[in-house]
Amino acid sequence: MLKYKYKSSKDSGSKSWVLQRITGLALVVLMIGHYILMHYNPESGHTYGAVLNRMQHSWYRIIDLTFITLAMYHGLNGIWNIFRDYKLKQWAKLSIISALVILGLAFTAWGYSIIFSIPYINSVAGAN
Amino acid sequence: MEKDTKSPLEIPNEVPDFKIKTFDQKNWISENLHYKKDSGSWAWILHRITGIALIGYLFLHVYSLSPLTKGEIAFNQMMQSYTTPFFMVVEWLLFAFVLFHSLNGIRIVIVDWADGAKYHKQLYKLSWVLGIILFLAMGALMFSHEIKMLFN
Repeated sequence: MLKYKYKSSKDSGSKSWVLQRITGLALVVLMIGHYILMHYNPESGHTYGAVLNRMQHSWYRIIDLTFITLAMYHGLNGIWNIFRDYKLKQWAKLSIISALVILGLAFTAWGYSIIFSIPYINSVAGAN
Repeated sequence: MEKDTKSPLEIPNEVPDFKIKTFDQKNWISENLHYKKDSGSWAWILHRITGIALIGYLFLHVYSLSPLTKGEIAFNQMMQSYTTPFFMVVEWLLFAFVLFHSLNGIRIVIVDWADGAKYHKQLYKLSWVLGIILFLAMGALMFSHEIKMLFN
């Protein structure tokens, strides 16, 4: 009897496979919105005023937080999927995964902190 | 029995000279490039390259937006350096990477979930056509100011 299914791994990876597709599709939708917002005119994506104005609406903040979370997960899971194509020693797997997780968490936290640092201005505070 | 007659079970004296080509690991790049690839292989390779580039860009993107915490002057100053013609062209090329990864990603999902394996080659061609159209459209949008300058 061949027992190959869960050899050297506790899970089959099917959840990560599904999540990679779901996050990918979500990212396509978010990316379309992102590109329209950033390049609708030269100012919309490239001036502090435009960003500040947009960030008065909490929905934009929520969208950006979702965007960076999904993109980080999708990207780093994709990198891990590349490594999975090769036969790696257990210690190599562990160190690669920990490096990717630390990198992902650090940059996600950095991105969050940047978004949260943008102030709400009193004059337009009612906008959110 | 005559000597010339061969029984079908007789082992031939001369073993046909099979040239078994093994993978030359030292020249793996040229080996891979010489191997004839169909569209699916190219899609796989390009999906990987664009994916690695895009996650790299995401890190860069977070870093490059970090002056937002330092207020208006710092942010606008930094942004000015990113709106030079060189960076605008780079931004446009980045869109090509985003486009390929998105369209091919959609193709992968269709292959996986919507019976797309039956027409994945047509989907690949379609994604290139769509991609080139969208790439040129984005170029027209991004450089609309410069294009207007040219014709005035």
